[in-house]
Amino acid sequence: MKFFFPDSQDLVDPSFDFETERRAELRVRQRDDLYAHEVFRSRAYDGLLVSKGIVDGYGQVGSRYTIGQKHRLLRNGVKEFLRIDKVPYPLEVMGDCGAFTYVKEKVPPYTADEVINFYSDCRFDYGLSVDHVILSYQPDWDLKGAKPPDEVKDRQALTLSLAEEFWTRCKARKEGFIPIGVAQGWSPKSYAHAVKELQAMGYSYIALGGMVPLKTAEVLASLEKIAEVRKPKTRLHLLGVTRLDHMNAFATLGVASIDGTSPLRQAFKDASDNYYTLSRTYSAIRIPQVEGNAKLQKKISSGVIRQETARKLEKAALSAMAAFNNGKLDIDAAVEALTEYEELCAESTPKEKKASAAKSRQSRADVYREVLSDQPWKKCGCEVCRSIGHHVILFRGAERNRRRGFHNVWVFYRKLRSELGLRLEDAA
Amino acid sequence: MAKTRELRLPALQVKQGPKRMLYVFSVDGKLVHRFSTISRVRRDEEGELRGYQRPEVLSHIDEIKRFIEGPSPMIPNAVVLAFNSSVHFDPAGSEFHPEGYSRPGTLRIPFEEDMLDEDKPAFVVDGQQRLAAVRDSSLDSFPLSVVAFITDDVSEQTDQFILVNSTKPLAKGLVYELLPNTESRLPSSLLKKRFPSQLLNILNAKRHSPFRGLIQTPTNPSGIIKDNSILRMLENSLNEGVLYRFRSDDGAGGAIDPMVTILCAYWGAVSDVFPEAWAKPPKKSRLMHGAGILSMGLLMDTIADRYRNRIHLKRELFAQDLTPLKEVCRWTDGFWDLGPGQKLKWNEIENTPSDIKQLSAYLLDKYKELVWDANHPSERRARGG
Ligand SMILES: [Zn+2]
Repeated sequence: MKFFFPDSQDLVDPSFDFETERRAELRVRQRDDLYAHEVFRSRAYDGLLVSKGIVDGYGQVGSRYTIGQKHRLLRNGVKEFLRIDKVPYPLEVMGDCGAFTYVKEKVPPYTADEVINFYSDCRFDYGLSVDHVILSYQPDWDLKGAKPPDEVKDRQALTLSLAEEFWTRCKARKEGFIPIGVAQGWSPKSYAHAVKELQAMGYSYIALGGMVPLKTAEVLASLEKIAEVRKPKTRLHLLGVTRLDHMNAFATLGVASIDGTSPLRQAFKDASDNYYTLSRTYSAIRIPQVEGNAKLQKKISSGVIRQETARKLEKAALSAMAAFNNGKLDIDAAVEALTEYEELCAESTPKEKKASAAKSRQSRADVYREVLSDQPWKKCGCEVCRSIGHHVILFRGAERNRRRGFHNVWVFYRKLRSELGLRLEDAA
Repeated sequence: MAKTRELRLPALQVKQGPKRMLYVFSVDGKLVHRFSTISRVRRDEEGELRGYQRPEVLSHIDEIKRFIEGPSPMIPNAVVLAFNSSVHFDPAGSEFHPEGYSRPGTLRIPFEEDMLDEDKPAFVVDGQQRLAAVRDSSLDSFPLSVVAFITDDVSEQTDQFILVNSTKPLAKGLVYELLPNTESRLPSSLLKKRFPSQLLNILNAKRHSPFRGLIQTPTNPSGIIKDNSILRMLENSLNEGVLYRFRSDDGAGGAIDPMVTILCAYWGAVSDVFPEAWAKPPKKSRLMHGAGILSMGLLMDTIADRYRNRIHLKRELFAQDLTPLKEVCRWTDGFWDLGPGQKLKWNEIENTPSDIKQLSAYLLDKYKELVWDANHPSERRARGG
């Protein structure tokens, strides 16, 4: 099974200095920065997924690409732009429309030809047909006599007719990429129906959309129903689903590839599971920047908290972590420095909140004590942990947080391979 | 009770008016925090506004820090302090020098080790970022010049604070125009503009440049193209396009001659192909407008990439690739046919991000269709849409 990592211009700046927190002043974004496949010497994914919606931006969702970057991508192709042509192992690139960027529209804003032009200009290996996400999953609508609302039926019908047009246009234009048909549905039966239709059009690689919010059992139920109609040659791709616990079952049911950003995003979005290891996850240690932390900044500019105090505690927390990492400070002292700063950040003026603050302080201290005594970053062999050490565990600014996300992606890939009983060198 | 110490500094007393005395002296910037404090804006228990200073801005402090830790720093502008009446001046003589309006003497500043902020005898009226940079720097000391006045009146401090901080900043255009003649360490936002500004100046002055005299700058007010449009076009290409090839590794500059040659060749070709739209004010020609300059700049990068294996990109070659676009451009009259239901009058194109995006997508699409794909029959595809 292949893992595709969705690109949304997640890069790290190699010139960033973790001690002074300065970067090269004339660094050019993206060109001087590094993608995960440039950071790691060994594979962290089998390929990348690039969405037209992310490149163009749509409506309220702004583009992640500047206009200059976008045109360079179209001129030079996705492999040169993402610099994967320089990586010593092959990486594939899949293109899709980014249906979530226009989910609120009545119909997708792109024609089949527009999307094919995009895939073709960028020279993708795979291209997904234009789809329209269905956001309601209701297996009850499979029951006899149940009537799914017209809106969901219309979305499926539209997605299927766009897939048909996409297939015909691709064949007529003799495009170099492999077309993937997208199936949207609201229940096991409806997904199976879409897959059947897509196979009839000629597709032998089919992506299942709209499954991100589904429970694993619901994904499995749909895959089982699809298995009843799936031709032996048909490969499935699960869009945005990265559940490690059932990968073997997924594989048995025909899933040949997946994609997802959650290993990256958990590094800085999750409340506690920020740092992956092969056996468990850890919480990152929060030392927010005094500047750049809107809540704290507000309290400072209104005079509730003294800027000097905040800076002093922030610095103390950072040097406590450095000293602890070098074995020059014990756990209790380190935890003390961390919680003292965190308390200031969380400080709320009304006195009645004091009790609950003390309680959460205690639980934070326990969490930190655990990660500090295990020091998981010292046991990780990835390039990020080896080069930046304890900074990888600090929840602080994009340069640290994104590197921790890269580490997670690297670990995720290893877990995926071992879950499936595959060696790392094996091709999927 | 901590022991009271006294800092004695040689100073000049300056008589600025019958009642107004200023004190000019220099002191190690590392010391200032021991006897002075920042009056931070805050509300007291009764909700009354206290103080007048904003918080420090770390990024700004860091810029100054980098500068003073550099090879040859100089901070000529003085920090402004307001002393309370515990500070005294002992004149060395009794006479004010009639030409200088000043007399030398000694300023006596009492302070205690680790005294509370509210007890300190001085407030910083101007220069808190400079002082913070010196305080945080790795240097052992860094003397600063100080101008001070003595008052126990907070409203007078506030007045002075507002006055020194409400001077109008220099116009951006003038700063950019001065940049190429600077050599010292500049704040990084300006550093990034230095090289593009240098290219702009050359384009505006060079004898055979198609832009000669056309770019509007503070010293060339009769120019018609906004300097900012040209700067953005140059930055785009330095980051994403053909000029990037000639950029130096550190990004601070690059090979100027080949850059200027390519720019002159391309924009010369633009003026050849669109003579009726060239060198007219933006009101009469959208080619000279921000949207026109930026989207045509992106086209320059595209054409250069089409011929990326050629060393010399000649004006004739650019003109040959631009000519087929003549029929789809509406710089000075008519309607842009941007797609089904998307007709835009020539002068409805504005210098906004969305119009720039739309116009450049259109031009690049047309270029692909009419030139790039049309000239490679083997790669020709049926493009719908
Ligand atoms: Zn790691």
